[in-house]
Parts: sequence; structure tokens; C-alpha cells
Amino acid sequence: MANIQILNNVDHKNLRVIIDHSAEYGDNQWFAPTFAHEFRNLQNHYPIVFTKNPDTGQFQAVALLGFEVGENLFLTEDGWDAGYIPLSVARQPFLIGFQQNREDGVVVTDPVVSINMDSPRISETEGEPVFLEHGGNSEYLEQINSLLKLVHEGHELNQAFVDMLLGMDLLESFVLDVELNDGSEHRMSGFYTINETSLRGLTGDDLVILNNNGYLEAVYMAMASLSNISTLVEKKNLLKGI
Amino acid sequence: MIDHIRRIVIVGGGSAGWLTAGILAAEHSAASDTGIQITLVESPDVNPIGVGEGTWPSMRHTLQKMGVSETDFVRECDAAFKQASRFDQWVTGTKDDSYYHPFTPPHGFGEVNLASQWRALAPDQPFAEVVSYQPHLCANGLAPKQITAPEWAAVANYAYHLDAGKFGLFLQKHCVEKLAVKHILDHVRGVKSTENGDIESLLTDGHGAIAGDLFIDCTGFSSVLLGQHFGVPFISCKDTLFCDTALAMQVPYPQADSPIASSTISTAQKAGWIWDIGLPTRRGVGHVYSSAHMTDEEAEIALRDYLQDFDGSARKISINPGHRKSFWHRNCVAVGISAGFIEPLEASALALIELSAAMIRDELPVNREGMDVVAGRYNERFRYRWERTIDFLKLHYVLSQRTDSDFWLDNRKPETIPEHLSQLLELWRYRPPSRRDFHELEEIFPAASYWYVLYGMGFNQDEVSQKRSDDPVLARQFFEENTGMAEKFIRGLPGNRQLIDHLVRHGIYKI
Repeated sequence: MANIQILNNVDHKNLRVIIDHSAEYGDNQWFAPTFAHEFRNLQNHYPIVFTKNPDTGQFQAVALLGFEVGENLFLTEDGWDAGYIPLSVARQPFLIGFQQNREDGVVVTDPVVSINMDSPRISETEGEPVFLEHGGNSEYLEQINSLLKLVHEGHELNQAFVDMLLGMDLLESFVLDVELNDGSEHRMSGFYTINETSLRGLTGDDLVILNNNGYLEAVYMAMASLSNISTLVEKKNLLKGI
Repeated sequence: MIDHIRRIVIVGGGSAGWLTAGILAAEHSAASDTGIQITLVESPDVNPIGVGEGTWPSMRHTLQKMGVSETDFVRECDAAFKQASRFDQWVTGTKDDSYYHPFTPPHGFGEVNLASQWRALAPDQPFAEVVSYQPHLCANGLAPKQITAPEWAAVANYAYHLDAGKFGLFLQKHCVEKLAVKHILDHVRGVKSTENGDIESLLTDGHGAIAGDLFIDCTGFSSVLLGQHFGVPFISCKDTLFCDTALAMQVPYPQADSPIASSTISTAQKAGWIWDIGLPTRRGVGHVYSSAHMTDEEAEIALRDYLQDFDGSARKISINPGHRKSFWHRNCVAVGISAGFIEPLEASALALIELSAAMIRDELPVNREGMDVVAGRYNERFRYRWERTIDFLKLHYVLSQRTDSDFWLDNRKPETIPEHLSQLLELWRYRPPSRRDFHELEEIFPAASYWYVLYGMGFNQDEVSQKRSDDPVLARQFFEENTGMAEKFIRGLPGNRQLIDHLVRHGIYKI
């Protein structure tokens, strides 16, 4: 079990967080989980696809960063080479934890900012300070707070988003066949994308419901994002020197 | 045209009746004005038998085609995944005597002579485990797919164990609500015939005469239309397959999370065998035996011994093994037990219903003129299928080396073995079963099934000459690939119980 602690300005007074990106900080992941309201920011850089979580069987949206486990094609010697870093990456090593509190005799579960103290980003000498000298939040922590809030809200809505897509038959499975310059072929399966035929056939109430929730925009963003697959292939060719 | 086939009337509401109704209604647009109207009449006070039952993998396709959701099906029918049959104590009767007949055909089947090369390269390992990864999955209690797999999809070919009573009700709901099958609860008191001897209508207590163009008899052992009304003779196969009685029990699991076996376990006894079927909420266990070789008391003692003195009550079911001489007579066709029944050794009952209904669906004549032609073809096809089913079940008994009772000795007497099977066994002394031994397009038991039973039971084969297909290099490659697949799947697949619990709690997606 990772050492997850609730963040506080006593225990974590001198804590600093390294915000560089490299494999040694755990950034060598081949996809980043995301959610509908992040699609607009992602779509210019990464292919957005859907896959099932192998532990829960539930659908989740992900931004593809590579073609195989451990491969993040955006990592370079100079850091993360893209104009936007997915929030699920940028939030590291912070996460939302849950704390049970008693309010008027009723137990409520409140989200609290927590930190993974096992993360290689944890330091006391380098990186961004989390708290100011007298215990106030640093600007960095304020950024993290708002970012975590977005991630949290996004994931809360994920199930409703996925259910809506499935209910309107808007997801379909697809197999990604990638051919590199040296002729080698790689097949990736287990992915799902927007079913464009179903989308074009949507009318009336379905269209209104989708639009009211802001999901119509997300659907088109996900579709548009698939053009980034060729960018990923180019990066892979470049990396292999072919 | 006045005599178009527009109305189909099914009598009997068990698994046979509702499966047939669903298979026909899904294709023949019972819900549309221009489709065929399907009515199912069942008696309001018939008790479903309610024992656990096994299906074949074909059931997945059958249900999917009917428009059923697999999540709903598993939840409502108390269904679990089945990947094989395991036969214990069939060969010698010793405790370690066990082999699998899995649903996945041997890896490399038809590419190389796996039988000769198994004997040459891995004679100490069970045949099924060398050529199929599936026995390894069963032995480890694993599910046939991951929780991310869509409905009906499989990593390893699978079928189901289900509660037959709940299955009938589930199909009923689907047929009535989704497929516009008309459901009438009433007693059928008589049959009104046309001048030429066809059935014109069924006479009921509360619904008058129910007229139809084709009548399907799903009335079980009583065979009301085909047997009683038309008097089509019954051909007993008791001289070949002796089992004629069953004692069935429902057995709870020790704990709510006890593992669910993903194979049907069949354990041979002195005068028959015991089935053991794992459903999510309980096991269905029963002893099938020959009343000529064992008394009911002895059978019950053996069953309770098997269950380690479990004290639940057992229900006795009499079986008259055999089938009707023909199945489609005039404008009436029998499906299910009314057509025939034999011991459930290879779970053929539901599979035969699916095949029957599918042939009626696909060859449904447009009018009465074409019906006799279709009936002739249907009878020929199903006569063949019954004979092959009997052959295949008999094979299990013929190959046994047990000598501990007259039951086993009598089973190997030449006069009890069908000629067709004897001839094949003579050929197989020198070569494995081939696809040409089983030439039908939808062969009920394909050659691969015979391989699993023959080599699982230690059939002595003496292949005299070496052929190109006896290629040890290629065979070894297939064996190694099989081992690799087994290891990979064992790492990646959840437990059978785990997948079923997940499915019941969260459902699985259609895609």
C-alpha cells in the first residue's frame, strides 16, 4: 500500500514537490485517465479513446501517450513535449482522499487533499514548496487545489457520461493497427471510440440531452482527437530512428 | 393464397416451448402485422422440473439472436459459466481416474496428427491437457473471460449451467414482452382434425378452439400431440443406454463465496453416474442409474455418500430413454422431451431443442404443400442426430474398463452397442476419428469430441504406418503454444465466482 497522507501544514511544513517530467518520476505511463470536460484541452495533442478498467470492468476515457505499457512518447530529455499536460498527470503526487466527518450527528464523507509520500517527486530540497513559511498555501498548492477539484468533479460525472454514450449507442470498439516506417505492424485492441454513424443519426431529444450536459462537445472533441494518432506514430518512428 | 403458414401454435411452456417460441418469433417477426403469429398454450398447473441443467456453447448464439441481454440472463436464470465436462472414475473407477471433455477443440486440430504425437511425446500427461488450455482453466476454477469482455464474447469457449425453471420464466417474459408471442394459460382437452387428418385446432377449457397452421408439441414426456394424438411410435434405446431413473437434489454451498466449478462433474457409480452442476446460489446434484441394476434405496445411499451425508430431500424422476420414430408428422412437430429423452451425460437436451427450433425456423414451409417435404427432411436429420447422440453417450460406457458391477459388464456386451458405433470403433483401432466420419454440416458431436473421450478414456490405438501428418516438430510447437496460452490465461482470468459476482452486481457491457 502506498503511503497516502492527508495534507497539512504541520507534518508537511517543509515539503517540496519536483514538478519535472521524466520516467524516473513515474511519467512513463502509456495513457492518462481523463474525463469529458478535459477533452477540449486534450484534443489538440493526444488521441482520446475509451477503454475498460481491468479491475472494475467500467469504461473510462483516456488520453493515449504511447503504444505499449511503459511507453510515453511525449517524454523527452527536456521534459514533457506537449503544450498541455493531462490533469491526471499534472496533479501528481496529490490526490483526492476521503475523510469521514460527523456533521450534526450524521457521518459525511468529505473529499480532502492528500499526498502520496512514496512518490519520487517528494523532496525537501528541490522543487516547488507546498506551504509558505508561516503555513499559508503556496501558489503552487492553490493551483493543485483547483486542478484536483476539476479532476474530482470530472470523475464524479464519468459514469453518467459513459451511460449516456452507451444508451445512445455512441461507443464502438475499434482495433488500432499501427504501421511504422520500418514496416513493422502493431495491433492494439480493447479500445472504443465514438460511433460516428450513430452520432449522425441522433435526433430530437437525444441530441438535446447530450448537448445540455456539454457532452455533445466532448463527443466531437474525442472524434477530432483521433487525428493525433498519426502524431504518435511519427514520434514513435523518430524515437526508433526510422 | 389461403393456405399460407401464418399461425404457429406451441403446446407446453417449459424450456422447450419457450426456447422454440423465442427462436421462431425472433426470425419470423411475430411482432409485425405481416409476420407469423406465434401462440403458446400451457397448462396453468404444470410443475417445472426445476433441476439444474447444462447447455452447450450454442446457447450463447441462440440467446443473443433472440435479443436477450447476457447480464439479464445470468441474473434471472441463476446461470454460471460452464467450460467442459469432467468425467471422474469412468475408466477404472479409482479415485485419481479423471478426464476432461472441454468445449475448445484441440489446438492444432487437423493440422497435424495430435493423437499419435501425444502418444509419442507426452504419453504421461492427459490428452486434453496437452492439446487444450481449457482443462487448466477449469482445474484452477477460472472464468472463461475477463470482466472487461463484452456480453457473449469469450476468451475460452463457454456454455452455461442454469436453473431450468427460472430459464423457462425468463424466456417467457422475453417472448411475451419483446417478441409478441401470445401466451395462453389453459388446459388442452382435445384436438380437432381437418378432413385430411391434420390438426385444425386445439380445444381448450376457457379459450375455445385455438386454430393454427403448424402445431409444435412441447408437452414433455406425455407427448400429447405427436405421441397421444397421432400415435407416432416410440423407439426405446434402453437396450443400449440403461439409465432410466434419476434422483435429483439441490445442495447449498458451504459459504456464499464458495468457488463455482466451471465444468459439469460426472462421477461414475456402480450402476450409473452422478451429475454435479454449479450454479451461483447452489449446486444441482443427481444420480442417474439403471433400475435393472440398482434399487432406489441403493441409489439414494450412493448419492448421499457422494454428498457426504447431506440430508436434503431427493426427487425421483423416471426416464424412458429413446425417441419417437418420426418427429414431424403432418402439421405437427415435437420438440424437446416429447420428441425424445436420454440421460443428460453430455447435456444434449437443450442443444437438441435449439437445433430443432432452428431447423423449423430456417425451413419453415410457406404453405401446407411444402410441409411434407420439409417434414421428411426434418425427420431424416433428427433421426440421424438422435442416433449419433446415442452413439456418443454409449461410447463413454463402451470404453470403460470398470468390472465392479453387471451394469458395466453389460454395457460392453456387443449386442448392446449400435452397429454404427461398432464399425467406427473398428476403424479407430488404427486411426483417429476424422471429419469424414461425421459429415453433417451441423454435426451434433464433431470428431473433436470423440477425440477427447477416446483418448481421455485410454482407448488403445495402433497406428501402423508413419505419415507426413505425424510430424513431431509441428506437434511439439502446438503443445508448447497450448502450454503458453494456458499460462497466459491463468494469469489474466478472474475466478469463475468472481466474474459471476461482478456480473450480478454491476452487469457487463454489450460492447
